[in-house]
Amino acid sequence: MKNLKYMGLLMALVCIVTMGFTACDSDDDDKDMTPPDISSEGLTANPINCQEYQRGDVIPFLYLFTDNQELGNFNIEIHNNADHHSHSTEADDDDHGGSECEDDHDHDHDAEDSDAPYWIYNESFEIPSGQRSHTARLDIPVPTDIKPGDYHFMIRLTDRAGWQQLKAIAIKIE
Amino acid sequence: MITLLLAATLCMVEPEDTTVTLDAVTVTGQQRRDYQMRTSQTTVQVSSEFLNRNFAGSLMQTLEGIPGVKAMAIGSGQSKPVIRGLGFNRLAVTEDGIKHEGQQWGDDHGLEIDQFAIDRAEVIKGPAALLYGSDAIGGVLSLYTNHVPTEPLSGSVQIFGRTNNEQLGLSAKIGGRKGKFFFRANMTLIDYADFRVPTDSIQYYSYWIRLKDQRLRNTAGCERDGSVMVGWQGYNFHTDVRVSDSYSKSGFFANAHGLEVRLSDIDYDSSRRDIDLPYQWVNHLKVLSHTTWRNDALSAELNLAYQNNLREELSEPVSHGYMPKPDNSLERRFNKSTYTAVGSLRYEHGRHTLQGGVSGEYQHNRRDGWGFIIPDFETGSVGGFVMERCALRDNLILNAGLRLDYARTHIHSYLDWYATPVGSAKVYQQRSADQRRHFTSLTWSAGVNYSVGQWVMKANVGKSFRVPIPKELGADGINYHIFRYERGNAQLDPEESYQLDASVSWADDTWEIEVEPYLNYFPNYIYLSPTAQYVEGLQLYHYTQARVLRYGLEAQATCRLTAHWQLHAQGEYLYARQKSGEKKGYTLPFSTPWSADAGVKYFFDKRGDGFVGLNAHIVGRQDEIVPPEKPTDGYWTLNLSAGKSFRLKGSTALSVAMHADNLLNRRYYDHTSYYRLIDVPEPGRNVALKVGVEF
Repeated sequence: MKNLKYMGLLMALVCIVTMGFTACDSDDDDKDMTPPDISSEGLTANPINCQEYQRGDVIPFLYLFTDNQELGNFNIEIHNNADHHSHSTEADDDDHGGSECEDDHDHDHDAEDSDAPYWIYNESFEIPSGQRSHTARLDIPVPTDIKPGDYHFMIRLTDRAGWQQLKAIAIKIE
Repeated sequence: MITLLLAATLCMVEPEDTTVTLDAVTVTGQQRRDYQMRTSQTTVQVSSEFLNRNFAGSLMQTLEGIPGVKAMAIGSGQSKPVIRGLGFNRLAVTEDGIKHEGQQWGDDHGLEIDQFAIDRAEVIKGPAALLYGSDAIGGVLSLYTNHVPTEPLSGSVQIFGRTNNEQLGLSAKIGGRKGKFFFRANMTLIDYADFRVPTDSIQYYSYWIRLKDQRLRNTAGCERDGSVMVGWQGYNFHTDVRVSDSYSKSGFFANAHGLEVRLSDIDYDSSRRDIDLPYQWVNHLKVLSHTTWRNDALSAELNLAYQNNLREELSEPVSHGYMPKPDNSLERRFNKSTYTAVGSLRYEHGRHTLQGGVSGEYQHNRRDGWGFIIPDFETGSVGGFVMERCALRDNLILNAGLRLDYARTHIHSYLDWYATPVGSAKVYQQRSADQRRHFTSLTWSAGVNYSVGQWVMKANVGKSFRVPIPKELGADGINYHIFRYERGNAQLDPEESYQLDASVSWADDTWEIEVEPYLNYFPNYIYLSPTAQYVEGLQLYHYTQARVLRYGLEAQATCRLTAHWQLHAQGEYLYARQKSGEKKGYTLPFSTPWSADAGVKYFFDKRGDGFVGLNAHIVGRQDEIVPPEKPTDGYWTLNLSAGKSFRLKGSTALSVAMHADNLLNRRYYDHTSYYRLIDVPEPGRNVALKVGVEF
């Protein structure tokens, strides 16, 4: 009777001790657990929701990227929003409209340029390593041979640990 | 085996017409102890009674009550098995001893097995490479469909349904025996509508999507299964052949699939039950031959199988990057044929049992479609093992085993079907290079079983392995289902795992207590790691290897207060850490948070034919995350289950089983659900009901 009690206690002790040893490491204090941030703090961000551009213009992209440890890279994608899908990442997007800007034209005038393709822009850019804050400045020329209308301007940002942040802005190309 | 011997002995001492008066006989049940002493690994036996009583809509959800076992929800009400936090290709699902080979790597690929054809199951919670070779690194879910009928004719018909996705199903089984010949056949038909969640909108990859009537549009589906088995059962010799086919078609949640989330022209909201693009369908055909031969000391078994898994994923074509808009909707197609042969020999002599076996498997996979994710490949593997079990005393058993495996993989090269401008030229990019790799693995296991009085203890230590799959070696493309770019690594080594696990249990007439701790170390865990890079506009995830340490435990206690009342409590905890590599200090994806259950059951009569049970399920908060996950709040739900079987005329029985989940309709998120990444909560109040007639 005594033997089995000791046996049981010994097994339990072995289990607890093993777990105790393995729980003793503390190398996870410097883990990055926060995604990076895309903000317009301290500068006049461009583009902002419902901003209008002309074909042939240059979009003076300007945003502030920050991270608690180290930034990674970023990607900008511009695609059409003719079907009025919506993104939810705009701060002033009370009812998550995203695509509803005040002076929403009707799209009859698109028929004139129906031969022109929609603008597809997708470029990735590197951020110098070791940065916690980076002001991204980029001139994006708007082509002349594209169809005007509603577009979405998407910013994707990663940090060194692999977290990703997204921001989607509705713009208009005339 | 024992029954046969017993029957033989009784036959020999049959008296001639004399009256014999027997004294009162006491029969002591040792079934639980005997089962636990059979193997030194932590296993759980799942009887057909358990499967019937705990019916919860799908096989994995029915098994979820077992500590350490999880059903990872993948949408459309389907789930993938997870044992102690490991799933996908780290878990082997076997059907009658043959590994089930589908496209297990897929996040939204379910298990193509008819749950109603299953007689019983066994869960091995830990590496079982010794018997099953590669892929059994996390555990094995053994399903058995080969119960031999004893009656001339018997069968059952079951009708079932579930409220959450308006599932309606029918399953019929029939079997019979004439002399030494027997046959079995079964058929299952299931239909379900769009899945309902307690929220009006969800957020996916910065897109805000409003749901109609709280339903995830286009998650309806259907399932059609059938199987036929014929066999011959002799005294020493048994052989049977089983042909089964499982077909299922289900929609992908319309707003969370594809290159760009667009509200398409398809009117998804017109019907709850229709399946529009995007959707997947899969057909799994299996031909299985099972032969055994045994005499007093020796038994031999030979299993041969052919499987074909044909899967298509269709979605509305769109252009992306340099890929022009395709002219059809076939996004992906996989045609995989697997040939398996497993032979084993077992020799019992006195206190020793010597077991040895050889197994071989050949997989042939061909892909098609405008979306590339995995290349064409062939994989051949052979393995041989030997295991010795020695009963030093009746209550002390030692076992040890060794296995050697050799595998060869040939991955074919793949070139894009469209050209990409490189400089001034147009090039058909190579997505995967032609490569041949071969892997050799030596694995072993040793264990002890010891029982004394009311204690049963066992401990097992072992090494298991897993051959890297072609997706991990040669992927190079956009995974449209989850909006990221995935790249393989041709230099990956086979994964190795060392595990130490133990089980301590104590039982008497009232109490039954079990504690199962484990410790697991991978020197080279293959992990799909998110990087800071962008490729073709999407974040790059690539395969790397890292040292990983995991440990945890499961505990459960049952108390039979009276003949009618029973209390039950269980808990589980799991810890995982990457000890090296890019994500050093982080945990593994979909880490299971701790959970605890407490329940009470009332049995109407001693036989346990009728019962009502109430159970509270508590899950802790999960802050252990890796990118791109988010922390998940803890939650608790109240669940009700009830069942009763009624004897009808003759040997006919009517049984009713009911399972009501989330009685209080709480809104919560499950951290281990694939849908957690798109902020989809778990179902609200959901009732599953099954009515069956057995004759």
